[in-house]
Order: sequence, then C-alpha cells, then structure tokens
Amino acid sequence: MKPPLVKRLWKSFERTRVGRSIFRVGLPESRLERSRAMISSFLLHVQPAKVSRRSLRPGYTLGLGLISLYLFLILIATGVLLMFYYVPSTDQAYNSMKDLQFVVSAGLLIRNMHRWAAHLMVVFVLLHLCRVFYTGAYKRPREFNWVLGVGLFLLTLALSFTGYLLPWDQLAYWAITVGTSIAGYAPLVGQKLRFLLLGGHTVGQEALIRFYALHIIVLPGVAGLMIAVHLWRVRKDGGLSRPDEPGDLVEQVESGQLPANKTYGLMELARGTTPQVGKDPEEEVSAWPHLVFRELLLFLLVVAVVLFLAIFWNAPLEEFANPVHPPNPAKAPWYFLGLQELVSHSAFWGGVVVPGLLVTALLLLPYLDRKRAGIGRWFARERAVANTIFTLCLVAAVVFTVIGTFFRGPNWGWVEPWKQPPAVTEGP
Amino acid sequence: MNSSIPSNEIPRRGFFQLTLGWIAATLASAASAMAAVRFLVPNVLYEPSQRFKAGKPEDYADGSVTFLEDERVFIIRKGNAFRCLSAVCTHLGCTVNRIKTGYHCPCHGSLFNNQGKVIGGPAPRPLPWFLVTLSKDQRLVVDKSRVVNGDKYLVV
Ligand code: HEM
Ligand code: FES
Repeated sequence: MKPPLVKRLWKSFERTRVGRSIFRVGLPESRLERSRAMISSFLLHVQPAKVSRRSLRPGYTLGLGLISLYLFLILIATGVLLMFYYVPSTDQAYNSMKDLQFVVSAGLLIRNMHRWAAHLMVVFVLLHLCRVFYTGAYKRPREFNWVLGVGLFLLTLALSFTGYLLPWDQLAYWAITVGTSIAGYAPLVGQKLRFLLLGGHTVGQEALIRFYALHIIVLPGVAGLMIAVHLWRVRKDGGLSRPDEPGDLVEQVESGQLPANKTYGLMELARGTTPQVGKDPEEEVSAWPHLVFRELLLFLLVVAVVLFLAIFWNAPLEEFANPVHPPNPAKAPWYFLGLQELVSHSAFWGGVVVPGLLVTALLLLPYLDRKRAGIGRWFARERAVANTIFTLCLVAAVVFTVIGTFFRGPNWGWVEPWKQPPAVTEGP
Repeated sequence: MNSSIPSNEIPRRGFFQLTLGWIAATLASAASAMAAVRFLVPNVLYEPSQRFKAGKPEDYADGSVTFLEDERVFIIRKGNAFRCLSAVCTHLGCTVNRIKTGYHCPCHGSLFNNQGKVIGGPAPRPLPWFLVTLSKDQRLVVDKSRVVNGDKYLVV
C-alpha cells in the first residue's frame, strides 16, 4: 500500500537541503528512529522516548495536568494579542475593552477566549490537584513536585485576580477593593502589604499599573518557569506514579527486592529512581506516536471547547468603575466567593486564618503523610482517612462558594435563587 | 603539580576567601532585595490629599447629613456644630449608605448607628470621625489623617 499523499510530500521535503537542516531526524519509521525523533527534537526531548502503557490510560490522569498546561498556553497567546490594544490607564482601560468588543476585528472572540480559558484554568488546576491527591501521587519522590504544584495553584489564582482589575468596570473595581482589603487584615504586615500592592491607599491608577505589570509579565513569567520545572520533575521523578513503583532504589537494594528480570546500568543505580527502573520493557511503548498524538488530540479538543464557549457566550463588562457606588451586592470573582462568604462572618478568621491554614496544610501534606500504601490508584482503600479529610474540606469549599455565588443577594442577605430577588432598598 | 591548572579539590587556603565571598554575596543580594522592595513603595501619591476644603459652613443646611462623593465622607451639621464621618466601611472598604437609623454597607451588610458604632454585620471597628477646622477664608477643612472622638465638633 502506498503511503498517503501528505506523507509522501512531507518525506520529499525532508530530503531537501532545507528540510534536512531543520529536522535532525525525519518522520520516524522504525522503533529506533522513533526514539531518536523524541530525543533529538527540542520540543519533544522534554518527554521520554518510551512511556509505560499505564501512563497512557486516560482514566488515570484524566489529562487534567495537560489540560491546565494547554489553557495556560491559550491564555498566553490570546493575552499577547489583547496587549496590542489594551491601555493600562484609568481613563482608557475601559474604552479599550469597549473597542475590543465592538471595533477590533475578532476582538470580542479573543477577549472571550481569554476570559473563559482563565476561568477554566482555575477549575482544571484544582481538579488536577484533586486527581493527584486521590491517587496518592504526591508521595516520595514527588513531594517537591506537589509543593511546586501548590505554588502553581496559588499563582493561577493570583493571575486571575490581577487580570480581574484590568477592564476597570464596576465588577473589577469593587472585587479588587474587597479582595485587597482582605489582605489588609493579615496581622502586622497586612496594611503595609495592601499599600504596596495598590501603590496607595485606594484602588486607582497606581493600583491599575501595578496589577497590569504583575498580570502580563511577573506572574506569567514565574508561572511559566515553574510549569517547566514541574514537567521536568514529572520525568525526573520517574514518570507518572504507578502502584508497582519501586520506592527508593537504595532502600530496595538493601531489602533485596530488586526485580531480577532486568540488568541495571551503573547510571540507573547511581541516580536513584529513573524512568526505566523497575519497568518491564514489555510494559512500554514508543512515545512517538502513542503519547505525542494523544497529547496533540487533547490540545485540539481544549482549543475547540474554549472556542465554542467564546463564540456563544460573551465575557461580562459592566459600567465604568465608580468608586462611590458599590454594586449591591459587591462580589469578588466566583473562585473567591467562598472566601468572601467566610469573610462576611469574620474578616480575620475567614480571610486570613482559614486560607492560611489550608495552604500550610497543602504544603506540608507530602512530608506528613508518608505511608507508601495506595500510591497510583484512585481512592485506594488504604488511604480512606486522608481521602475523607480531603473530601470534607473540598465539599466545605464548594458549599461556601455556592452559597456566596447563588444564595447571597443585596446587602449580602440570604436569597433563594429560584425566587424573585427582593427589591433593593437603599438610604436616601 | 603545576599551580596554574586548577585541581578539583577545594584548596584549604581558599576556604577563608570562599567564606568572605559568600558573606559578600549574601550581603549584596540582601541589599539588592531591600532596594527593590523600597523601590516599590511609592514616595509620591497622586491620590486626593487627605486634607481638603469642604466649602462654606452655610452650604450645609441645619440638621443635614451630606455625602461628599470624591472624598467619601459625610458632613454632618446640627445647629452650628460641624462634624465629619468616614463613609468607608471598616470591614472591606465599600462605601456605606445613609439610612434612617444610621449607615448601612451594601457589600456584606454591616450596620452602623448615627454615632458610627457597629450595630450589626462583620465590620470590626466603628466608622472614624475626622478633624474639622475652619480656614482663614472661612471654609471647612477636613483632615482625614486625624481621627477624633465622635463628641468633638467645630462650632461656627
Ligand atoms: C499551572 C498548573 C499546573 C500544570 C500546567 C500542571 C501540569 C502537570 C502535568 C502535565 C502533569 C503530568 C500528568 C498529568 O497530566 O496529570 C502533572 C503531574 C503532576 N502534578 Fe501538576 N500541574 C499544575 C498544577 C499542579 C498542582 C496544583 C498540583 C498539586 C498541588 C500538582 C501536582 C502534580 C504532581 C504531584 C504530579 C505527578 C503526578 C503523578 O506522577 O501521578 N500540579 N502536572
Ligand atoms: S465592606 Fe462593608 S460590610 Fe464588608
């Protein structure tokens, strides 16, 4: 059978002088070439040449980490485009949003994509965190990658929060006023921190330019770097977590547990856990095409979903920011509404103590929970206690967020969303 | 051994220099970090001044409570006594609204009485009163950086 036309054309391009100068290895045919293709291409060498069959099972990771990565990439691409029109000044910011919506070709679409991808990223990073927890994938040797992950989760929130101010509409202005005031409650440094963040006492031009600088360069730069290290660690920590995974090699040598069906190179022994250790060669397949094509497919799917949302739903833009009249109720972005609900009861306990304890617990988790049982399986029975505690916290967070989002009306009073909202009564 | 070719050992004599080097590097990094933080603290604020003129006393009717939008304060006149109350909710900084019994914050529902005291909601502190004085040209002057007791007022 003749190979398809596209492939033949590609092959003949590869054989030209230019083609050979660009691609160090052509479209691979044999097993050896497949490995070489992975190792010698800049974009592909980040990944292993061989992957375990287990890691390819979509049911294990649900692709959640990859989806987070793709959303990040979409955000960079659309964000750079938005920068060509957006002006970070209190006079012009709102107008540039209007321009993007009504004047610039495809401006509305790009803005919508950026907004929906940002919301989705918060959701998917959180889901990825849950996946890693429920599969016990944060244990040795992946403790530090979990810590990096917690950092990435916080960075994702910070990116969303700083971006929220930029349209300079009512929603933006009051969400940031409320949000930064929460920071002001931190003991000792709170007020100073708030002043530093806003570059003044109230949300104004200084705050806008600071949030802009953080949003377009500082936070994406740090996040990009951390994502790179995160992915590198996934590989260096021995690929994805698996139940049959050997612990520390040294530990194994000592207890005489080394599987006998493999010869170990000195390198493998010296470096501790490497992707190859303990893996039966039969359990592995070439990353090209099995991994690479799956990744590409998932990427297309994510782009398609974001496009779909952006075509059918518009990102909100309220009236121009008015420092005198807070909307009633003034609400933070949805992912902070659980926090706002807590803050409505007590700013210090809800806004500082609870989130502080939660983040500390997440950071310390892999160093406190060191039992080896139940790694690499969803909801392992051996981890019932940990899973129950985690689920309770998660449910509490969701309940508070739902209350803050749907059950709070004017004056932060209780409303039932299925009933007609009460008329707003304000003073003279 | 030829001394111009470095060996892999950390030479003993170099240890002292090495320690000095580390100390210098640490100090330099700390100083740079401090400079960077200090750089980010603004020296000049383009915000409206904390001290501002609020017009002539006659501009306010007897018994009135007037909201000044730009300054986010209430000017309260009773007879010939003038006082100034902050309109910034002490909870998370929303602007409070005047209601019959006092003030009400739309953001998380804090309630304040006419004295600015918290009577409901999550606000931790009462609304502060600001110092009101009279300028030479007979204008009210409010200084938002000077908080005073609620029973202190300016008699004109
Ligand atoms: C910007 C956010 C993030 C991105 C782009 C990202 C990306 C990824 C990717 C692509 C993987 C490979 C496996 C998979 O797809 O699930 C992975 C694995 C992992 N991630 Fe993340 N991640 C992010 C945030 C987080 C967070 C919030 C945590 C936890 C606090 C975390 C902890 C981990 C751990 C421990 C692994 C190894 C899992 C295993 O070996 O089974 N990551 N990450
Ligand atoms: S800001 Fe006034 S009650 Fe929260």
